Amino acid sequence: MFRVGGTVPVMDPTQATREVFWNIEYTWLVYVLMVPTLAVFGWGFWLKIRRWRSGQPALRFDRPGERLQLFLRNAVGQGRTIKRRYAGLFHTLVYTGFIVLFLATTVVAIHHDTPLHIMKGHFYLIFQSLIVDIFGLFVLVGVALAAIRRWISKPKLLVYTDEASWILVTIFVMALTGFMIEGWRIAVTDDPWAAWSPIGNLFALGSDPWMTDTAMQRGHVIIWWFHLVVAFGWIAWVPFSKMSHVFTAPLNIFTANLDGYGGSLKTIDFETAERFGINHLGDFTWKDLLDFDACTECGRCTDVCPANTVGKSLSPRDIILDLQGLMHKRGDEFLGSRAGNGNGDGGNGSGELLPIIDQKTAVSPEALFACTTCAACMEACPVHIEQMPKIVDARRYLVMEEADFPEGMMDMMNSLESRQHPFAGTQFSRVDWTEGLDIDVMAEMDDPHEAEVLMWVGCGGALVERNRNTVRATAKLLKKAGVKFAILGREESCTGDPARRVGNEFLFEMLAKGNVETMERYGVRKVVTSCPHCFNSFRNEYPHFGGSYEVYHHTQFLDQLLESGRLDGNGAGGRSNGSSTITFHDPCYLGRHNGEYDAPRNLLAQVGGARQVEMERSRNTSFCCGGGGGMAFVDEPPDQRVNQERAQEAVDTGADVVAVGCPFCATMLDDGVNARRGDRDVQVRDVAELLWDAVGDSEEAAP
Amino acid sequence: MRVLVCLKQILDPDVPARDFQIDPDARAARRGGANLVTNIFCENAVETALQFREAAGGDVKITALCYGESSAEDCLRKAMAMTVDEACLVERDGNTNPDAAAVGRVLAAAIRRLEQDGGAFDAVLVGRESGDWGVGQTGGVLAEELGRPALGFVESLQPGNGSVTLRRQTDVGIEVAEAEPPFLVTITNNEDNVPRIPKTRDVMMSYRKPLQKLSLADLELDSEEIRAGSSIFEVEEIFIPADEVECELAEGDTLEERVDQLATRIHEVVASIG
Ligand code: SF4
Ligand code: SF4
Repeated sequence: MFRVGGTVPVMDPTQATREVFWNIEYTWLVYVLMVPTLAVFGWGFWLKIRRWRSGQPALRFDRPGERLQLFLRNAVGQGRTIKRRYAGLFHTLVYTGFIVLFLATTVVAIHHDTPLHIMKGHFYLIFQSLIVDIFGLFVLVGVALAAIRRWISKPKLLVYTDEASWILVTIFVMALTGFMIEGWRIAVTDDPWAAWSPIGNLFALGSDPWMTDTAMQRGHVIIWWFHLVVAFGWIAWVPFSKMSHVFTAPLNIFTANLDGYGGSLKTIDFETAERFGINHLGDFTWKDLLDFDACTECGRCTDVCPANTVGKSLSPRDIILDLQGLMHKRGDEFLGSRAGNGNGDGGNGSGELLPIIDQKTAVSPEALFACTTCAACMEACPVHIEQMPKIVDARRYLVMEEADFPEGMMDMMNSLESRQHPFAGTQFSRVDWTEGLDIDVMAEMDDPHEAEVLMWVGCGGALVERNRNTVRATAKLLKKAGVKFAILGREESCTGDPARRVGNEFLFEMLAKGNVETMERYGVRKVVTSCPHCFNSFRNEYPHFGGSYEVYHHTQFLDQLLESGRLDGNGAGGRSNGSSTITFHDPCYLGRHNGEYDAPRNLLAQVGGARQVEMERSRNTSFCCGGGGGMAFVDEPPDQRVNQERAQEAVDTGADVVAVGCPFCATMLDDGVNARRGDRDVQVRDVAELLWDAVGDSEEAAP
Repeated sequence: MRVLVCLKQILDPDVPARDFQIDPDARAARRGGANLVTNIFCENAVETALQFREAAGGDVKITALCYGESSAEDCLRKAMAMTVDEACLVERDGNTNPDAAAVGRVLAAAIRRLEQDGGAFDAVLVGRESGDWGVGQTGGVLAEELGRPALGFVESLQPGNGSVTLRRQTDVGIEVAEAEPPFLVTITNNEDNVPRIPKTRDVMMSYRKPLQKLSLADLELDSEEIRAGSSIFEVEEIFIPADEVECELAEGDTLEERVDQLATRIHEVVASIG
């Protein structure tokens, strides 16, 4: 399409190009302006990097291959960002638009400032004109979609700052003025290749009827310089705004924790540590500090946080942002506290460190102790920020330095200390559940090495009435499959998970070392347990204390027994237990923390006549039962119960059996389901119980 | 000021019913799978002493004293983790269940020894009773042995001008008393003297605090009588009472008949018990 009245030029596409700096004088000014722009930009990031470097050491540049993969998937490929449809869409539009526009600018620079005149011919037409126009449009549309969300639909998860609004406005103005100057250049120069720049051409066609060439030419100069100033200003602003995530986010993803959430807590060297836990920015690692700067304020973490969902004050997003704010406000002051955990009193000469735990901010003790350590926040974060370990770091400070924690946690810790289990007042001993089952106890065996596997019962399994069926069913299934197993009986102690999550690392370490010693004595190599918390500790945490085992959750072990034919399954033809629909609740410490989603579902397929339905939040987006992080021992306010929120979701699926794979989930959901099931008969049962019903010896179907 | 708190190590009273076993020959409970813990009222006493020190502004030295087996060192370490300043264990060999008279004599001798070395104790705090035998006599006997005035069921100590203000629980309410040191009190629990959880640093520090060990010989008490440990009473038999529940349903065709029947049976049963 050519402009009416234009002359028809000779059409040789191989010669197609355009004049850089058409209509612009004083072009040297561009280079002059570029100097302060880049200087401010560089200074901004230098400040950041200097702050990060003042953190404690952390190993995050190892395993470059894996890091690159993660980087490609979630930074370049936006793997997590696109999981939310609307935000994913507009972010992709803006993100890809920016990349293409950046490339286009680079092409111009190469063409103009080097002897390589690459901006011509088909490349000029297809990439530099057509594609660039399309992606420029992407930016406009993307920003408009973002603006609709921010200014009209206003979802709760966003942070409403002026900065965020100005970012949208600036980007929109940059893209729009870009098209304006392109359009007027096309109009005034009668650009023969106008059709290759459809959006610019649209501006040209739109302006032509009512603007003279002189007006357009003058407008072009003004808008051209305006566009340049806005763009340069924006570049200088990047390191000081949340736009810095353009650089911090990819870096953060590259340096993310590769070991899974289950192993993300740090160990403490109690011999040398000056302080236990963290209450000062300088005690964080450089990666923690980078985390604060990488936050995009997207709010997804808080949106999925179970504690926040039921109305508690915990908001992982605000914890990150408040700490970021503190870090920025303190500028370089906190750099002085570098000595941190290691030595010195820290604190920039004044000897005083600004505490991060503060009743008036999101980092309040109340919020910190509402966290169930479910890691939903970490799974949702598009830039791999690690919120939960920071929460535990701060809890450690409260618990170990201040002895300050909720009441229920106090009883639990007292009990752990004097009885090595967290269930004060239990009516059961560790071996009561074995009655009538004839189960070997390692200490009583002639040769404990004969046991192929240690069945780790767990406090939640042995000492809580409703879970004793689960461990009985597990033991019976193991027997039926002919597995030679034994238990530690009274020699078993809590793995220490509740102590660790609450922040009592010292107690955890004592319990862990004790267990490692006991297991060493019997030469234990293989462990199966029906508690995902024990499972996680053995798998990810005990290796730090010299205990390395082959660890299985009971659902994994049973699944393997079925698979290998050692345990006789009946396909889907197992006995029916009368239930028609089963829904499985993924335990955080089996699923998200350790990546096992299929084993329990495979086992449930054995239950005859029942079909499986999924809750809306399942697998890696599963919603915590409310019992993790020591929260099972805390009385939640009646209107803020995480277990009821989850139970409602389970009940809403219409299932008559809610299957679980964790003793804590079992008790939490039992309570929740009873409160929410109405008149319907909905049961909460462990996968092992259901499996025994389906494939166990029929004369003894119900254990 | 010097404050002394006496501690007793006992079998965990929270032991699951099935783990609680009796050794009829020894006429005592079997250790079995149960844990050993500090008697709760003794922990309340430690907490009360700590709060007294805090209220007094720090110039109070607290000592913990225990007559028990070597395992009781754990109780003393825990007290020191709660920030008690020093501890002393009088090692018991012989009777595992000495009565209050024996314990009182041993503690009194140990206290005199500690006072020789470090000055008199202004206040001696003893738990109201122990969670195992629940005799509740040790405080009284010890006061008698020491020849000091005593008050029971105290829940808090407040520093006053040269004296100490005591709050004690009675059947009819709270009694407030002024006490001139030296004195002895037995401590009961209230919501304010719940034993604190020690800070981790203090737990670690507790291993560096002094723990003195004395034997009965050191105290010149190595007599048959003390070793046997019983002079006031002797345990003849010990058993777990059998809980028997008999269930009877009131019968009758109408509600009235059933209520009548129920009332009659209640009368009969009450009469038969006497
Ligand atoms: S770990 Fe779970 S409970 Fe804790 S902040 Fe994250 S989402 Fe919330
Ligand atoms: S921490 Fe992550 S998920 Fe939470 S607001 Fe920041 S970027 Fe979003």
